[in-house]
Amino acid sequence: MRQPEKVDVVIVGSGAAGSVYAAIFAEAGKSVLVLEKGTDRKLTDLYSSQIWARRLKGGAPHVVEEGKDSIWYNFNAGHGYGGAAMHHYAVWPRYHEDDMQEHTLYGKGLDWPLEYEQLRPWYDQVQEDVGMSGDAEKEIWRPPGAPYPLPPLPVFEHGEILARGFTELDLRTSPIPVAILSREYKGRPACIYDSWCDAGCPTGALANPLVEYLPRAVKAGAVMQADSYVTRVLTDRKGMKATGVEYYDKAGERHEQAADAVVLAAFTVENSRILLNSATDSHAGGLGNSSGTLGRYLMSHPAVNVFGMFREETRCYYGVTGGQLFSQDGFEKEKSGDIYGSRQWEIGLGTKPNDLLGIAMSRVDLFGNDLHEFVERGSRHLGAMVGVCECLPHETNRIELAGSKDRFGMRLARVNFNLDDYARNLWRQTADLGVEIFKAAGATEAWHSPPGGQHIMGGTIMGNDRKSSVTNEYAQLHDVPNVIIGGPSVFPTSSSVNSTFTAHAVSLRSARHIAEHWGGVVA
Amino acid sequence: MSISRRNFIRQSGLAVTFTVAGRAMLLTPREAYAGDIPFSVLNREEVDTLEAICEHLLSGARGNGVAHFVDSQLSLDPADSMLFIKCFELEQPFPDFYRSALAELSRVSETVYGKSIVELDQAGAVSLIESLRDGNVPGWIGPPPPLVYHALRNDAVDVVYGTMEGFADLGIPYLAHIEPPEAW
Repeated sequence: MRQPEKVDVVIVGSGAAGSVYAAIFAEAGKSVLVLEKGTDRKLTDLYSSQIWARRLKGGAPHVVEEGKDSIWYNFNAGHGYGGAAMHHYAVWPRYHEDDMQEHTLYGKGLDWPLEYEQLRPWYDQVQEDVGMSGDAEKEIWRPPGAPYPLPPLPVFEHGEILARGFTELDLRTSPIPVAILSREYKGRPACIYDSWCDAGCPTGALANPLVEYLPRAVKAGAVMQADSYVTRVLTDRKGMKATGVEYYDKAGERHEQAADAVVLAAFTVENSRILLNSATDSHAGGLGNSSGTLGRYLMSHPAVNVFGMFREETRCYYGVTGGQLFSQDGFEKEKSGDIYGSRQWEIGLGTKPNDLLGIAMSRVDLFGNDLHEFVERGSRHLGAMVGVCECLPHETNRIELAGSKDRFGMRLARVNFNLDDYARNLWRQTADLGVEIFKAAGATEAWHSPPGGQHIMGGTIMGNDRKSSVTNEYAQLHDVPNVIIGGPSVFPTSSSVNSTFTAHAVSLRSARHIAEHWGGVVA
Repeated sequence: MSISRRNFIRQSGLAVTFTVAGRAMLLTPREAYAGDIPFSVLNREEVDTLEAICEHLLSGARGNGVAHFVDSQLSLDPADSMLFIKCFELEQPFPDFYRSALAELSRVSETVYGKSIVELDQAGAVSLIESLRDGNVPGWIGPPPPLVYHALRNDAVDVVYGTMEGFADLGIPYLAHIEPPEAW
């Protein structure tokens, strides 16, 4: 076993959260090593193809999914430098004030250990760093914050056609808030609206980790290391302090990387899995699990894709994958006795012929000549949008260790996830409303998908009370404060907004605080 | 922008590496099919079954090299695979899924319709596919039939419509970031 040189901080995962921590710590003068289980990927590797796009998705190690509902792990996860953020659509709304105080205000869900006002400056800083496009005034639901640094993306035929339906039903739309450049920004080019976001944006117009925070990290001296599969966080004899991580390289050789601090930013399921697999005599239930909440409060947004055929040409293959317009009408949480939770619409999704969200998949019942005819018609006339719904945190929705193991002998993750009736009813209401909107827009036929899972959150939630949460407000494990958790696994509630912007903001806030209080963190 | 044909093929769609006489060659599945390139994971019977069912699911799949595409991807680590089934939460390795599904399809075709799937007429194929899609195949003991339907149907869609040629057939622009210097 080789013993690499000790570093100040080892970061597990190079996605949205890991890249922010790497940049901030490296710029603070810390020696930083980023271990990524996937491949060394560059922007030039991002081919414009829905087939090649699958290389960016999860797929290993296998997650054993149980329960009635799927979190769609492989669809949401990533593999390689940039992690899941390499194939994300960069739709970046903010959490609302009430999303973060949900238990206090509504008696449901949980409270965050911080309020929106404490996160607001970090949202503002991130949007300035990466370049966001939108219209803060027209986005009437948006909580307070600095205006977007760039004007909104243009709206094409697809968005205009679907907007008619919202107007007909007295629902409002706005430009979509995105981390995609409508104009050149800091030397990066504007988007060319070819709608290959899902395949990874090679031009740098979409703010994936390879265009902002990872380059900053490397410039400040951080070292990136691919094909490094972390299996455990190592602790000292008393279990009071992390001493580094155990990982395996591509050849299957085991290593121990010593570090003064560990950032675990390996995405939601893997964060819990690694901590559970890091159990020792001092931490019998898993590292950071004195509360018994490690792995619990798993959340995923139940989403519904709405489709329709229009007489006009929609040019649905054009634009950006995440949509051209946006609406949070219907975001209020208390809807009726049996429906609870926020919802939002992403309108006019860039849609290609193949893949999970493609034209052919929108009518899974068709095959043969019927499928040929449908794809030919749909490639010109299909409209598509997605309704994203909230999912309350429940301790019974959880990540545990499965009996089966990976090739390094590490137990796989087993996920048990069941939507509650509030979420099911909200999803049903959203699906029906989506079809109604399409008909109001003039669709000759309209239909919706079955439930899908967008974004994965929870498992290592933050909180003020160490008896009911895994990390503090700066994402440090209550039990072992020199272990910091990165990513949406620390979110105590899901809202219905896309999680990547908030993952950046939370990480930036924590990274700055920890860098400024380094001595206390690693003591 | 001037780029080599090799780079263009890699960047524009569905070219993958095939091993021919010990040499790695970068080919599209259609070129591999036309060149009768040997398979590395699937056996002849499995290939015949896969091509036949995919051709019924979406005509053009066979000639566009669906079997070569699937076979090439099954030889990879699951994390590197470009198969649609990566979206499912399937237990790995992926070849087990295909082998089991194709063997069961072959068996059901023989026992229920009295013919191999290759010899099945249009009406028989439609009946088999509908029962697969609806999850009511008599005596089925392989992976869940609707999962098999989705996997094979989407493999067919990938090679027929997921490529630059597929987009051209539909009359819609591919809009690749790197403009192709020639069709392939």
